[in-house]
Amino acid sequence: MPSVMKAIRIQSEDFSLQDEVAALRETSQRMGGIVTFLGCARDFSEGRDVFSIEFEQYAGMAEAAMQALRDEALDTFDIIDVRMVHRVTTVHAGDQIVLIVVGAEHRKAAFEACEWLIDTLKKRVPIWKKEVTPDGDAWVSEHP
Amino acid sequence: MIKVLFFGSIADKLGKRDCMLSACEYMTIDDVLEAVGCIGVQPLLVAVNQEQTHDMDYLVQDGDEVALMPPFSGG
Repeated sequence: MPSVMKAIRIQSEDFSLQDEVAALRETSQRMGGIVTFLGCARDFSEGRDVFSIEFEQYAGMAEAAMQALRDEALDTFDIIDVRMVHRVTTVHAGDQIVLIVVGAEHRKAAFEACEWLIDTLKKRVPIWKKEVTPDGDAWVSEHP
Repeated sequence: MIKVLFFGSIADKLGKRDCMLSACEYMTIDDVLEAVGCIGVQPLLVAVNQEQTHDMDYLVQDGDEVALMPPFSGG
């Protein structure tokens, strides 16, 4: 694990859930609960096979928006720390896409913050995905 | 000059990812949309200098970066 990993990152390379949880735990020994959300690529979507997913970001704005989400979550929920990593590259079925790790004294706040973070990331962070299917490429327009 | 960036389905539709516009006085976001052929494109999100705005009457300035974006779909 790199000695210093930024808590908020957009990167093409894969990430390690274990390393991110370890990095979060290094920041405090007061965490009684750590909740993670790991988003992965599916091989089927909207009733059709998906060969791969291509991601695009608005460089600069996307990472700043993720940082703003982290700041807002730390202000809003009774949590101790947050880490978020989103890949922007081409991924295939089973590949990891996004990871959110939230640490809190108690689990309830960690669960609530983690759900809010992934729901809000989909609405506020300028990242787009295009699914490559047998019928051609299709930009995903909604954020379910 | 004003730099206009296009993302996702909008970039594909226009066949380009960016273009430069000459800045002129009292140029609004709506004027930018008209100049790049994006009037009526819906849904459309707009950012000026990486800050999202909903004000289509916002006056852009020389050197601004305007991003025209479809709804986000990360995660």
